[in-house]
Amino acid sequence: MGTLFVSGLSHWKAPIALREQLALDGDKVREVLADVLGSGVLTEIMLISTCNRVEVYGVAETPAEAGTRVFQHLCRQRGVDFTAVGETLYAKTDTDAVAHAFRVAASLDSMVLGESQILGQVKDAFTMAQACQTLGPTLHQLWSRAFAAAKKVRTETGLGRLAVSVPSAAVELARKIFDGLDGHSVLLIGAGEMGELAARHLVEQGAFPIYVANRTWPRAQELARALAGTAVPFEDIETTMAAVDIVLTSTDAPTPIIGADAVQRVMHVRRSRPLFFVDIAVPRNVDAGVNQLGNVFYYDIDHLQHVVDANLREREREAHRAEAMIRADVERFVATWKDQEIVPTIVSLRERLEAIRHHEVAKALARLPDASAETRQTLEALSHGIINKILHAPIAKLRESSRSGHGGSWTAFVHELFGLRRDG
Amino acid sequence: MFFTLSLVCYLVATGLALAYLIQRGDLVYRLSTGATLAGWAVQTIGLIVRTVETGRPPFWSFPEAISVAVWVVVLLELWAERQYEIKVLGAFVLPVVVLFGISKTVAMPGFEAMRPTLHSVWITVHVVLALLGIAAFVLNFAGGIMYLLQERQLKGRRPGTFYYRLPSLETLDRLTFRALTLGFPFLTVGLILGVFWAGRLDPLIVSSALAWVIYALTLAGRAVAGWRGRRAAYCAIIGFAALVLTLGAGFLMPGPHGL
Repeated sequence: MGTLFVSGLSHWKAPIALREQLALDGDKVREVLADVLGSGVLTEIMLISTCNRVEVYGVAETPAEAGTRVFQHLCRQRGVDFTAVGETLYAKTDTDAVAHAFRVAASLDSMVLGESQILGQVKDAFTMAQACQTLGPTLHQLWSRAFAAAKKVRTETGLGRLAVSVPSAAVELARKIFDGLDGHSVLLIGAGEMGELAARHLVEQGAFPIYVANRTWPRAQELARALAGTAVPFEDIETTMAAVDIVLTSTDAPTPIIGADAVQRVMHVRRSRPLFFVDIAVPRNVDAGVNQLGNVFYYDIDHLQHVVDANLREREREAHRAEAMIRADVERFVATWKDQEIVPTIVSLRERLEAIRHHEVAKALARLPDASAETRQTLEALSHGIINKILHAPIAKLRESSRSGHGGSWTAFVHELFGLRRDG
Repeated sequence: MFFTLSLVCYLVATGLALAYLIQRGDLVYRLSTGATLAGWAVQTIGLIVRTVETGRPPFWSFPEAISVAVWVVVLLELWAERQYEIKVLGAFVLPVVVLFGISKTVAMPGFEAMRPTLHSVWITVHVVLALLGIAAFVLNFAGGIMYLLQERQLKGRRPGTFYYRLPSLETLDRLTFRALTLGFPFLTVGLILGVFWAGRLDPLIVSSALAWVIYALTLAGRAVAGWRGRRAAYCAIIGFAALVLTLGAGFLMPGPHGL
């Protein structure tokens, strides 16, 4: 029985120059998995390769050596000098490796805390290893539990929910004003890239219909087609504003194109239905005074950035909760996992002693043909009592040792002492 | 005795709900819900016991009626919390529950239950409707407060605790409006029966009529001029203030409502 380990490098210590050299695509991963498993140093292996981390999870008798071997192999294949890589490598075994895997899957080890891609990437790596048949029971259990824990973190904490980019902050704010975005209409003014990106985000979340206004009519039409929206003449902005819920502006106009008085007129028609302005343009396209009007919510690029900053701080607070959840899950997993390691030994130890007991009791009873039922019962109870008393300390010791990561040597020891069969 | 015990539960639940607003631990939320449910269960038993002991509905004196109002509010809060997925709703409703509960406990001794008369069926209906109305308006009030807090966050453009913890303005507006449409018919019929039965104007009727006018204006404003959001929230708060005044009058008056 080998030891679980993880060996790898990530954004924490390894610079991008190194990470990009080591990053592997699917075919290469398949190749490496097969090569490494063929070398016989490891009994199980899985390889994660993203732009922020390259990690090997495996089970091996000598984890330190196995980890180094894999990365040496990787370096040779990619033509990278191993000494540079070696300095940035970390290695964790056993419970620490379990905790690392859980934290990675839950996006607690990510560069952008709580980003959602990593879980998919780890799942892909898992599927790949599964297809290559390089997974054994240990990695299989480890990841199924790590995925479940990551999902729980995602649903029960706000870690991944809060927007950390300007366009997605606009979406998040829209969701705090309007319940969902389904059926909420958007007016996009100007053809700036950021504006288009934010509009796309809104469309993806169900915003509909989309109107596009631009100084040059062909560009408006082009953008409208791209967003599956409708082009409206630039002069019709005010009338369109009366009908939509969200106004996105990103023109390069030097002075505001939407004044507070125009918005006031619009709000009168809207009868206090909220209107959300997202002004991504610099200089700003909307008179900042509109925020004073009732039911108008005006955000310029700085305001959106404030929201992003606040969200990052909030994510960190949520991360504390997530860490606590993950710690508890790791503990639970390690306990059941470690018990599995010693269960066969305990079973065969019991069987062994039971066989001896049974044999000896039978022998004793053969010498006592007149023994009463009561005597027989007493003999049985006595012998049961003895083996249970004897077993108590070794079993407790086995459990304790397995939970502290020394289960392997202790089970071997017990097998040796009691002459048990190695396969349990 | 039952009521005091349930009040203690509600008090604990309030503390936990407020803690949950800031500290957001799932355990705190579950404990708060647990304490609320425990309080409600104890109160239910208390109401049943009282009904059996006295052989009449458990709301024939004014403070008793407040106790039943608390019972309905808690039930409504638990429902709305799930219906609108506002896990922090308790932090806004439970303090009101506790204040009602304390006022009831303090006022209790001086009041006597009314004696059964020919009109008792109608009086029972009057009280039940008024109670349901009050419960709905507590929710209306909480919705209004939450709306103003969230609006402040969004207008201020500096997200804080409330921004993260409260739902969208639209959801809060919907909750506020729904509670208003739920409570208004109850209050209307309850008030009509009350006036009919009392046959004269007392301070309680006047102030509850004032609350009724405020709520009626809110509804009319929404239908005619599209009042929602902030206006509706302000109306909810003013209307509730009038309602609290009504309850205060009920406690202070030795007249018909003291029975």
